[in-house]
Amino acid sequence: MDFTLLTPELTLLVTAIAVILLDLFISRKGFLTVVSLLGLAIATVFTFGLRDDLSQAAFSKMLAVDNFAFFFKLLFIGIAAMVIIASTDYVSKFKNFRGEYHALILIATLGMMLMAATTELITVYVSLEVASISLYALSGFLKDGKSSESAVKYMILGAVSSAVLLYGMALVFGVTGKTQIGEIAASIQLSGYSNLLDNPALIMGIVLLVAGFGFKIAAIPFQMWVPDVYEGAPTPVVGFLSVGSKAAGFAIIVRLFFTAFEFPESLSLDWGAIYAVLAIAGMIIGNASAIAQSNIKRLLGYSSIAQAGYLLVGLATLGIAPANEVIGRSSILFFLISYALANLGAFVAIIAISNKIESDEIKDYAGIGKRAPVLALCLTVCLISLIGMLPTAGFMAKFYIFNGAVQNGLLWLVIIAVLNSVISAFYYLRVVKAMWFNEPASLEKVPSSGALRFSLLITTLGVLFMGIVPNLLLTFAEWAARILRF
Amino acid sequence: MVGLQHYLILSAALFAIGMYGVFVKRNAIAILLCVELMLNAVNIALAGFSRYVTPAALTGQIFVIFIMIVAAAEAAIGLAIIIAIYRNRGSIDPDKINLLKW
Amino acid sequence: MLETYGFVGLFIIVTLGFAAIMILLPVALRFLKVVPHHPTSVKNATFECGMETIGKTWVQFNFRYYFYALLFVALDVLVVFIYPWATQIRQLGYSGLFVIAAFMGIVLVGYLYAWKKGALEWN
Repeated sequence: MDFTLLTPELTLLVTAIAVILLDLFISRKGFLTVVSLLGLAIATVFTFGLRDDLSQAAFSKMLAVDNFAFFFKLLFIGIAAMVIIASTDYVSKFKNFRGEYHALILIATLGMMLMAATTELITVYVSLEVASISLYALSGFLKDGKSSESAVKYMILGAVSSAVLLYGMALVFGVTGKTQIGEIAASIQLSGYSNLLDNPALIMGIVLLVAGFGFKIAAIPFQMWVPDVYEGAPTPVVGFLSVGSKAAGFAIIVRLFFTAFEFPESLSLDWGAIYAVLAIAGMIIGNASAIAQSNIKRLLGYSSIAQAGYLLVGLATLGIAPANEVIGRSSILFFLISYALANLGAFVAIIAISNKIESDEIKDYAGIGKRAPVLALCLTVCLISLIGMLPTAGFMAKFYIFNGAVQNGLLWLVIIAVLNSVISAFYYLRVVKAMWFNEPASLEKVPSSGALRFSLLITTLGVLFMGIVPNLLLTFAEWAARILRF
Repeated sequence: MVGLQHYLILSAALFAIGMYGVFVKRNAIAILLCVELMLNAVNIALAGFSRYVTPAALTGQIFVIFIMIVAAAEAAIGLAIIIAIYRNRGSIDPDKINLLKW
Repeated sequence: MLETYGFVGLFIIVTLGFAAIMILLPVALRFLKVVPHHPTSVKNATFECGMETIGKTWVQFNFRYYFYALLFVALDVLVVFIYPWATQIRQLGYSGLFVIAAFMGIVLVGYLYAWKKGALEWN
């Protein structure tokens, strides 16, 4: 047991405990933010410290320390840091529970980091639940009617989906007799699988796994919780779970399906087809429902369902054309960075705006462009990136995913996806129009604190940087797409 | 003789009953109980597989222990959230939890 | 094999039969007019020795119990992990001891938290 390979995760755990204890014994609560950020910084240092040890199996092949996990660890640390910075003002709403808020964010991050690294079904389940249970608690943090209600829905649907996921895992375990994903792959190869009817239990298991993970990434038809949680939960938490939970879900799906169920080809074709169908459903239903929304958080909820649809196009590519797998995986990773930046930026802007106008209705956003030009500009850039227009990250991300799909003969899927992007422009631009062209209700300035401006600036610049100079991050994503098999 | 298929049938039946309960029950705590039923169905399946597929390894049984523990944590959080909503609303009937539309 | 289960089956049948007879006997006797049936409110009242009962039997438990249940769950979970460790304590050696100590430390922090937040007070 080599605990040095776990140092980033252990750092976060120790930080979370330290935050809880400090909260009990000190009265200056602002200190908690500093401690959490310090912990995240140390975890980053440790993650980089492991760069020489990449491509290792740890803890009897339960965890992989590889490029892929390295990428996601950095991504999750970055997301958590952004969320903690962005909620420095917001936490005053939590009164006596600021320590718990920070500790839960850190523990959820820890769970997500483990999700990206696990190579064994038991650890997959435990890390997934570490992340989910913290998020259930976080989404009910405001304790008012809406927040508790969103937490109830999130928790019940999450619990059902994890039961479904577990049943799938049990079936896969029953068919193969293994829980380590490399050994599962070996066992499937040995059994000589050639078509669906060879092994119905395995197919059933895979379908249930798709369903269980579909909940985490907000894929249709497991998306019912999304709009409610996005509307009811505290805004920084929504920002966190919209990008963190989705990225972690994709990390685990890519690793699991790529390692365990890639061969034989007929099997990967089967799940590739499932993901293609889910992608179409997600894009169409997400975009169509988003058009009718009047609440911006709810709108972003449906938009995240649609974004999951675009990402699923990447997964479908991965399943249908395993030969060109690097492009499939690296485009998913690239899309995840761009989505994380744009969505976090949008939520930070929403936090700043709703601090002042105390409403999330799109009609109340009228004239924000005059009241807070910088905020409105940043929100506009983020929304444009979510549409996928030049010169932002969103365009490049969609371009790479669709390019990979076209190269592997999924032209029809890409046509549907592009049409959907056009439809999505309608509702994103409606927000932009309200901000810049509608008459404001009052001309009072919308103030924003330094912390909010800082995180907003970073995300917006990141979106533009990725859009204008994509090479750097694309090379990184291609490097990170190397998944260790063992 | 009782064989693997008996365990699997029992587990599938329990899982289906739990799933049915989740959809029809009008009480959030009863829904939680149904979810527990589903998780225990999985436990039965895993224990069965562990006994008949991999009698030499304990993986399946260890999995069961982890599921039980995580389920306990989940139930604790779930009850806390339900208490929070009860304090707000005075009801735990999902039909009345309708501030946000489905 | 099957015969051994036969006795269990017989036992179950006898048990169920006995219970059914005890439930159905008074009903049957009433229909046969062996016993008189003149219900009054006093006769229908729930009978207990001592005081008359107040309120319904469906009482809500005070949800303060919830905190104790929660703390109990934490301890329960601790034991589930400690027990397998304890059976293999020698093979697992110091690394096992270290891991369990760290685990107990985390649960202990949870208790400290509950204590400081006043979850253990009854007021």
